Amino acid sequence: MGAFAACTSIDCPLNHSVYHTYLMKKPDGTPDTLLNDSLWILTRRADDTLTVVLNGLSGTSASWFDLPTSYMAPEDTFFVYLKDKEGNIMPDTIWVKKENYPHFESVDCQPSYFHHITGVRVAGNIIDSIVIINPNTTYDTSIEDFHIYFSPDL
Amino acid sequence: MTHRLKIFTSISALTCSLLLLLATTTPVQAQKIFRLEKDSIPLFRGFQVSFDLVGPARLMLGDRGEYQAALRINLHDQWFPIFEAGIGRANHEDDEVTGLTYKTTAPFFRIGMDFNILRNKHQSNRFFVGFRYAFTSYKVDIIRESLPDPVWKSSTQFGVRDMGCSQHWLEAVAGIDAKIFGPLHLGWTVRYKRRIAHNDGTIGGVWYVPGFGISDNDNLDANFNVIIDI
Repeated sequence: MGAFAACTSIDCPLNHSVYHTYLMKKPDGTPDTLLNDSLWILTRRADDTLTVVLNGLSGTSASWFDLPTSYMAPEDTFFVYLKDKEGNIMPDTIWVKKENYPHFESVDCQPSYFHHITGVRVAGNIIDSIVIINPNTTYDTSIEDFHIYFSPDL
Repeated sequence: MTHRLKIFTSISALTCSLLLLLATTTPVQAQKIFRLEKDSIPLFRGFQVSFDLVGPARLMLGDRGEYQAALRINLHDQWFPIFEAGIGRANHEDDEVTGLTYKTTAPFFRIGMDFNILRNKHQSNRFFVGFRYAFTSYKVDIIRESLPDPVWKSSTQFGVRDMGCSQHWLEAVAGIDAKIFGPLHLGWTVRYKRRIAHNDGTIGGVWYVPGFGISDNDNLDANFNVIIDI
């Protein structure tokens, strides 16, 4: 009986948290990078403390980043801080509005939530705009979800 | 997945090989196996009822299993149209790793045919192969009472209750049936189950499907049957 019970195997996904992938783009659509600038992104937890979700991304190869997604909040808020080579810190804020759906694979796999992105907006200090590329997000991090355009004045 | 594909391919190849062997190399023997033998034995030979002991044992020892019984018509000791029905149940509470609870209890039904492939059909023991079409419609509770968000540190109740699901599948069956005494027979059945259509509800997937077992494209299963001639 055990032999027959053991014949079925479940491959649980490696990631059970959903991360959104942001690709930095220039206005002409070509990849953008941070060059000599550094990027920090924080969010506010349920207990009102701040936590870092992106820590000092910088360099000429930094053209994309991933941000986590809350399980059930209808909107996630991210506080963005960009530090230039002179040490000036420029803030901005991203709001991602979404619908949340429970996702189940097996009792052996961690449960998760998938999301449908319904809107994204920015304060507009250093980020010009964000475009939704993939509104239905899962724990597949190989898919690009947003294109982010920093202000050309930077 | 590759392992399951190999199993499916092997079984398919074996089945095709046997059928080709029967059809091409020994046509006379093949005809003897599948034709209705002309003798003094009447076509209708009675009914058999049976019930399985493996499913209840699985329920006693684990968190899922089935109660199932069958009614089989004996046609000339060769052909056995069969109807099977059962109740499948899973009660997996508060998984020690994921904290998930999975509950369902629902009926399932199968209809099909067994063929006695022994040369002497009318002896008291039988070796048969057969097929089934099976169906179940069920509701499932998938719950995790408190799921903490790893980044935001908030907590939410995860899951659904009474989520409606269904599944259709086919089974290839092989088994033996040995007479013990009087109307009592005992027998083993081995089943290869292949899913053909399914509705897994609204949250991505299911875990246990009544009558089919753990949800997948295919499954292997076995039953130990107590069979009574009536």
